[in-house]
Amino acid sequence: MLNERIEYDFLLIGGGPSSFALAHHLVNLAKKSNSKFTMAILEKGKEFGSHIVSGAVSNLRVVEKIFPDYKTSDFPMEGICEESFFSVLGNEKKWDVPNILLPNGLKKEGCAILTLSHVVYWMYNKLKEKVAKDPNIQIDFFTGFSAHQIIFEGDRIAGVKVIEHSNDNDLDNSVYAKVTCFGDKGFLSRDVIDKYKLRDNPQIWSIGVKEVWQLDEKKDYSGKVWHTLGFPLVDGTFGGGFVYGMKDHKLTIGMVISLDSENPNINPQQRLQDLKKHPWIQEMIKDGKLLKYGAAVLPEGGYYSLPKKFTVNGGILLGDALGILDIERLSGIDKGMESGYQAAEVLHEGLLKNDFSEDQLSKYKEKIMSSFIGKELKDGRYFRFAWQENPRLLKSYLPILMNSIDYSNPFFGFLKIAFTNNPIKAMFDGIRLKLLMDGFESGSVKYKSDYQNIIPNFNPETKIKADEYVKESIYSRPDAVFYAKTKYHEGNMHIDEFKADVCIKCIKTYDALGKDTPCVSDCTAEVHRVDILGEKRMHGMSLENCIQCRTCEIVCPEINLRVRPTMEGSGPDFMGL
Amino acid sequence: MSAIQNIFVLIKQVPDQSSKAGINPDGTIDRAKAKRMLNPFDRFALQAALHTKKTYGGKVTAISMGPPAAVEVLLEALEHGVDQCFLLSDKRLAASDTLATAYALHKVVKYVGEFDLLFCGLQTTDGDTAQVGPQIAERLHLPQVTYCEDFKVEGSKVVAKRVVEGGYEWLRMNIPGLITVANSYHPLEYKTLRGARMVQHLLRDENEKTKYIKIITLDDVGADPVKCGLKGSPTIVARTDKVSEIGGSCIIYQGEPVEQMVSETIKNTKILEFIKS
Repeated sequence: MLNERIEYDFLLIGGGPSSFALAHHLVNLAKKSNSKFTMAILEKGKEFGSHIVSGAVSNLRVVEKIFPDYKTSDFPMEGICEESFFSVLGNEKKWDVPNILLPNGLKKEGCAILTLSHVVYWMYNKLKEKVAKDPNIQIDFFTGFSAHQIIFEGDRIAGVKVIEHSNDNDLDNSVYAKVTCFGDKGFLSRDVIDKYKLRDNPQIWSIGVKEVWQLDEKKDYSGKVWHTLGFPLVDGTFGGGFVYGMKDHKLTIGMVISLDSENPNINPQQRLQDLKKHPWIQEMIKDGKLLKYGAAVLPEGGYYSLPKKFTVNGGILLGDALGILDIERLSGIDKGMESGYQAAEVLHEGLLKNDFSEDQLSKYKEKIMSSFIGKELKDGRYFRFAWQENPRLLKSYLPILMNSIDYSNPFFGFLKIAFTNNPIKAMFDGIRLKLLMDGFESGSVKYKSDYQNIIPNFNPETKIKADEYVKESIYSRPDAVFYAKTKYHEGNMHIDEFKADVCIKCIKTYDALGKDTPCVSDCTAEVHRVDILGEKRMHGMSLENCIQCRTCEIVCPEINLRVRPTMEGSGPDFMGL
Repeated sequence: MSAIQNIFVLIKQVPDQSSKAGINPDGTIDRAKAKRMLNPFDRFALQAALHTKKTYGGKVTAISMGPPAAVEVLLEALEHGVDQCFLLSDKRLAASDTLATAYALHKVVKYVGEFDLLFCGLQTTDGDTAQVGPQIAERLHLPQVTYCEDFKVEGSKVVAKRVVEGGYEWLRMNIPGLITVANSYHPLEYKTLRGARMVQHLLRDENEKTKYIKIITLDDVGADPVKCGLKGSPTIVARTDKVSEIGGSCIIYQGEPVEQMVSETIKNTKILEFIKS
């Protein structure tokens, strides 16, 4: 047993919703057809769900398909959305946009409010139960093992290695498989994308930061969902807030902020604190208590960032590795699960025919594109671009609207937008935005990588005002890390800095402008810092704080950082987020 | 390079320190209620055994004594790369003190067979006596090194570094012998992929599990029940007193601006006096 290869039919990288959807559906199909297979699931967190963070309000259309009996089998839910609002926040007031003006994607009534870490943990337990006594199906769960390196055999992906810098014949630390399914957020799948040159258009990302609060017992917002625009993001950065009421007097408060910002100092964790300073949220969290904090990146590129191929020889891309999150409808979980569902169909067909060739796997792309994923991504393909191409929308018009919400009426705000600017231009901007959001064919779109948008000496034209808030409800970044419960093993070194000189130069540039470098400011967990060594100001890292969000890698203007998955089950504990 | 054939390591399941263990009316710990874990001191012994295997060869056998749930720590040992396990589990062992425990365990060691090195943790976190290891060595008439921080095998001898007050002793000990490993030794390495895989395999296949983890009773090892358990234990737990609740009054200053927090901390605490003194 000792010198043989550790080998499975299928290897899933990452224990997220897409991987578990795949595993569940494949087990269901194989049980029906009496097929045999072996599978391994690698998860870097110490527990399934411990590195999972999401909003989350989700359509349960795929859960219903995979678990027809989910309502009676303890599926963890925080409630069903009964009232959904889209609100524009001024500095002081809130304006709920009338339902009639909203695109359907933002109407969340009927969707489930979820704690995704709990959902994933539930899916894991259900899967374990399902296969425990099955003589034909063997699934091994490896929590606390992360995939670090892809094993290529010629042109084919043959498996992965579970430690860093492993030597070639390290059989003890290699897992081989007929098909490797990548369900990660890019930690490993970026190597697949690079190796096979799958992406012409880069993926663009946003960062989601989230807090869960235990509220005063007299307050109950369960079933209510708010998505917000405006305060505190007034620097032209695309993004917004979300507030979800959960059962047991709990509340989710979060922000999603695009990393294609011109601002080199976004500081997402502090923007979330700013959002909390709004009187509307202050009122909700008064006498409440912070329970958890976490952050994760979201692939935002959508349709135009999709890889050329969704499968390669021996490999399949799922969920966030593929990049099928739909930022217009704020829908990622259901699409991730659907990708797993469709992959299971293809793999099951392969099992029956004993064919896992590239040709067989490539049917996956067609299935994805003809499912609701493909349709909805295509519909919303210009959504991000619409905001990117016209900076006036967020930089000029939004502050005017916010002002009118605070001091008069949003209706006057729209009038002001129309008449203080060039009226024809404003009208054209409005029509163009509507057309693009409706998917009016406007040719193909080219994105820049997120860091390429950074303007080092950027100065926001508008600043927020927030003076009255309860000091105790606001958390500094290091304090927030405490609520992400990070724990690392000795000798942890999971972020690579390639060249120290490059960082020194970058720090010098930003010092001269009186700003922090993007890595220092945009880190969600107080990892990056500037160390002073004699005359030199160097880049340093407090890696024990890291919550594995990968923002630093994405915003580094010099492409000088790389975040690797943690080892030994280290990292944050997002259970409950 | 010396030839080592068999390495034994004694490990124990203890109540998880981070959970509140209940106390029985007679003052002993209610093990059924407490969350359980591998005795943290035994992690060093396990590392010493696995390191010996890696460096000098041989097979590692983990031995434990406890209720059936103690299988959990043996499974954990298998994940780390142990080759086989024995669990002495017998109701008649309940409430054993160190004398009775050492008696029973030395019988198990004899039953399992010949060995070159026997590793124990320094002590446990539930009893904190550090007596069982040395007692076993005495019962087996073996040389022993306690508080061992480092060691190497040279021919038929072990050269061991022993922690003493204010420094170290270097000792040379004949093989076979017993070593209790200090908690300043290398921490236990992470579980192995093969080990984790095998344990999942064993959890699916009860038959296969019995090949790797043998559960034995006092009768199997030929131990006299009178010398075990409460009967064989001269130690009497007369009373257990709750000394005090752990945890003081802790105020967390948070928020911003930082300057204000610092000045408030200074105002509300005696930190300045403390620094001046």
